[in-house]
Amino acid sequence: MDFSSKIVLVTGASRGIGAAIAKAFAAENADVIINYLQNEAAADETVACCKASGADAISIQADVTDRAAVDCMIEQIMDEFGRIDVLINNAFRPYSFDPEARKMHWQLDWSDYQNQIDGAVKATHGLAQAVLPSMLSRANGSIVNIATNLISRPAVPYHDYTTAKAALVGFSKNLAMELGPLGVRVNCVAPGLVSPTNASRNTKEEVKEAIIAQTPLGRIATPEDVTGPVLFLASDWSRFMTGQTLYVDGGMVMP
Amino acid sequence: MSDRSEKAGYLAGLDADAIEWISQTYRANGHSLTVQLPHLNSEQIADLASHVARQSKKQLKSLPLDQIVDAIDRTIARLLDRNDPNRRKMEELLPVVTGYAPEMVALGLTGYLKTFRKPQLKRFLAEDFANPSILDGFQPLIKGGFGRAFGPDLSAHIWAGNVPGLPLWSLISSLLVKSGTIGKVSTAEPLFAGWFAQLLAEVEPALTDCLAVIWWQGGDIERETALVKQADLVLGYGNNESLQSIRQRIPVSKRFLAYGHKVSFSMVGTQALSANKARSTARLAAYDIVRYDQQGCYSPQMMFVEQGGSVSPERFAQYLAHDLSVFEAKYPRRALDIEEAGRLANWRSNEELTPSGKIFGEAAGLWTVSFQQADQGFLPSSLNRTIRVIGVNSLQDVPNIVAPFKSLLQTVGIAASPERLFDLAGPLGAAGVTRICGLGDMSSPEAGWHHDGRFNLLDLVTITEIDARAESAADRLASYVD
Repeated sequence: MDFSSKIVLVTGASRGIGAAIAKAFAAENADVIINYLQNEAAADETVACCKASGADAISIQADVTDRAAVDCMIEQIMDEFGRIDVLINNAFRPYSFDPEARKMHWQLDWSDYQNQIDGAVKATHGLAQAVLPSMLSRANGSIVNIATNLISRPAVPYHDYTTAKAALVGFSKNLAMELGPLGVRVNCVAPGLVSPTNASRNTKEEVKEAIIAQTPLGRIATPEDVTGPVLFLASDWSRFMTGQTLYVDGGMVMP
Repeated sequence: MSDRSEKAGYLAGLDADAIEWISQTYRANGHSLTVQLPHLNSEQIADLASHVARQSKKQLKSLPLDQIVDAIDRTIARLLDRNDPNRRKMEELLPVVTGYAPEMVALGLTGYLKTFRKPQLKRFLAEDFANPSILDGFQPLIKGGFGRAFGPDLSAHIWAGNVPGLPLWSLISSLLVKSGTIGKVSTAEPLFAGWFAQLLAEVEPALTDCLAVIWWQGGDIERETALVKQADLVLGYGNNESLQSIRQRIPVSKRFLAYGHKVSFSMVGTQALSANKARSTARLAAYDIVRYDQQGCYSPQMMFVEQGGSVSPERFAQYLAHDLSVFEAKYPRRALDIEEAGRLANWRSNEELTPSGKIFGEAAGLWTVSFQQADQGFLPSSLNRTIRVIGVNSLQDVPNIVAPFKSLLQTVGIAASPERLFDLAGPLGAAGVTRICGLGDMSSPEAGWHHDGRFNLLDLVTITEIDARAESAADRLASYVD
């Protein structure tokens, strides 16, 4: 897969899955923009890592749920790189995947849902609108949104998080319908539990073992496992795919 | 198929060994083909011309119109049959000669040939002659008396361009008026007309010596003069300079019908720009652009798109851009020569320079959409899948924008409601437009259309009239007069 001269924006890319995706694009010669919210040091580290593979990489701080901040970031990218070919919506509102400490239905406020929906759908909506002019100028572009396999099987009912991700998949299918005729593809990647990441720090070993027991490929996903399907959906190899969700969970969910 | 060889032209019984053949090699789509082009000298052209004229007088003039129509119909039926060896040869070799995608040539041939079947030919005749029997014998005229239409003894057709089959319009028109016919094919597509003539002669042997298809390098004044001198009527196609040069060499006593370069465009109204219609509108518009890479006079070179629909003109340009990239997968654009590629690059950079303009499509891409505001207005494209989309406040503004280019205008493809179609037709016609059709139909004129607003058949004939009083005058001289 060669992404030479392609410009890729990955949101929430200072750490975890986002950082792994950014590095994987850089390794395939893409120029990468690493968006982050807080952890400047981690973002710098990812940038350095991307540059080490010979790619051009920069980091930009921006809250992706703030439309003005998004527009400002896109403007900066356009000034510097002149185009955006691929958008990976990976950022989400901080969430702790702790099966024991999770809120149960009767403990949740609507604001919990709203918070996650903003983090998943509002951010993606704003970013998609902001990158569109650049993609439409060549009638070509790929947007990949990171969801979760929980939308298909909520092994642990993280209500607010999973509802927001399910909404993101519905959003993506509608967007795929709207943008397909304009040459822009929209797909999702739905990983299972990924470890090690900051968000899964509190997931207990016994939960992991239970997941492994139900996973045909017999282990938990690593951040690097997610990158292949993301790069595939971003590339021309998937040029006739849109509105799809690829599950990356070792076969635990077979929708 | 590499290294195949094919003879162009049709020589109406002239000895093929007596003439010079020029070899020309064509390469496209990974194949190569050597075509032998019949290069007659001036004397041979003159001999051939008088032979065809003489034989036509003997054979063609006495054939009933129905028999000619029938012969053309049977020839076309053979070519519509995708298993016929002639048809297969066309599908195989025309993409190599012209560079067009094989699938586009195959589909284009069928759509085009269908317009020359018997019912369509009859409609074609009825369009120009209230009573087509006037080509067979004297028929009563409405004003009194009788009339009969005579085609020229010999008509010369100087064809141009690379759209496969295009010479068929004038070749068939000429046969329908029973004129001996000699056509000169272009180097860009020298095969189709000769194949058709050959097959026609096979289907109707009476026509064997009544038509011929020859070739010379464009601009060869000596040979051109030799043919023009013999012909009673000359039809010329091509750019204005070459037509002007032909015109200079035709005596005033002979008629010259010139079909010069034309510019066509399309118009999209708000009704076709709703959320559920914009897509299909763009697809039809893209099809018109892709078909033979805009090489036809009826192909759109710009689009006027109305503001105020759910889809803005700029967004429409983006839909169009995607459809062009989608068509590229099915019907790849032909490879451009250096000159064409240079013209395209120039056009693109000029479009980029306009203050309100936006370009959609990669610089090295196979299509380009340029979006401009109305003040940029009328500008022909560099063809080969380049188009200017112009945002206008109202389609009603368009006739005024194009009116200054009256002599250039030909076809307009319109996507708008029925009322608007007719509202716009008047001002467009007054501005010089001669054909209005729906989007997607621009490059396939219907049977019997009036090319450049003229009468395809009527323009070829002269009418001999028997004055109404001649009958009574003759009556006085009858043997049975009382």
